[in-house]
Amino acid sequence: MTVTVASEELPDSTLIRRFLDGDERAFRTLYQRHTPRLRMVICRLLGPRRDDADDLVQETWMRGCRGIHGFNGEAKFSTWLTTIGVRAVYSRFARFSADEEPLFEDVAEHGEGDQALAMDLERVIEMLPNHQRTVVVLHDIEGFTHQEIGRQLGIAPGTSKATLSRARCTLRRLLNAGGVRHA
Amino acid sequence: MHDENEPIEYTAAERALFDALPRESELNTLTEQRLVNTLRAEGYFRARVRRTASLVAAAAAVACLVAGGIAGYQYGMRNSLENRLSQTNLSLNDRVLLLQRAGSAYVRAANGYADATTRVDSTAVEVAQQILMGAAQAVARRSMDGGLTVRLARAMQTSGATQ
Repeated sequence: MTVTVASEELPDSTLIRRFLDGDERAFRTLYQRHTPRLRMVICRLLGPRRDDADDLVQETWMRGCRGIHGFNGEAKFSTWLTTIGVRAVYSRFARFSADEEPLFEDVAEHGEGDQALAMDLERVIEMLPNHQRTVVVLHDIEGFTHQEIGRQLGIAPGTSKATLSRARCTLRRLLNAGGVRHA
Repeated sequence: MHDENEPIEYTAAERALFDALPRESELNTLTEQRLVNTLRAEGYFRARVRRTASLVAAAAAVACLVAGGIAGYQYGMRNSLENRLSQTNLSLNDRVLLLQRAGSAYVRAANGYADATTRVDSTAVEVAQQILMGAAQAVARRSMDGGLTVRLARAMQTSGATQ
């Protein structure tokens, strides 16, 4: 007896194999399964430039599809895809970094004194410098380790940890300055 | 003393704020379709050939073949010599053509018969003469040849009597 399994129930590895065989439905299932989270990560990483999110989601998937033969299944597909997304965002940062704040810089002048602004955590994260925001998003929200973040960003795990330390201090200062609603 | 590289811990309230953040965003179907179109243009997806569609196409091809065969057979039967001879609504031109076809058929049949036997075969000679005689008499009865057939038939009878 043959049992037909809906593509939504198939594991990523099966869907990837089918996609490599040219199955469009398998690809759509993969896309619909992983894009909501990927898009949210990319939005947060982009911060004030989140309008570019859909472009970067597309760019991430294109890079992923072109390199999917290199996906060996050691990491989860979502982790592999997120790494591609993070690097795509960093490429975008590099493109407009010339007229932006320098990377790894503190945010002292951004939030302090702007107490009239009713900030929430999302907006405070958005205000962080690119590298700090990236580490906060990947570590504190997405749960990646400093080792994983180091591999994703091409930096030492210690650098990731030090950046997170500065980011958390900045966050706390901004949260207190903005009178953020604490749960 | 606090190590500046060691991140401070969030308070429970701060941690709760992080936990409350949404982890997923809405899917954008336009982005999905744009991506699929791009991938298709780059040849990632094979052409979708549905099994039912190919079966229907094969069945249609077989049906066309059978219908064509039947139509050809019927056309051939309708225009066969026997069928045309049985028709009563032929025009004069049709009848002239039919006569030519029948005559040609007779000549071809006679040639075929002659090729298949020897000229001294008495049966072959008799059959050939009988048919030719029958044709001549039919034409003579209708007086279609100005007397030539009568003379020819008479000559053939004379020739047959002396043999």
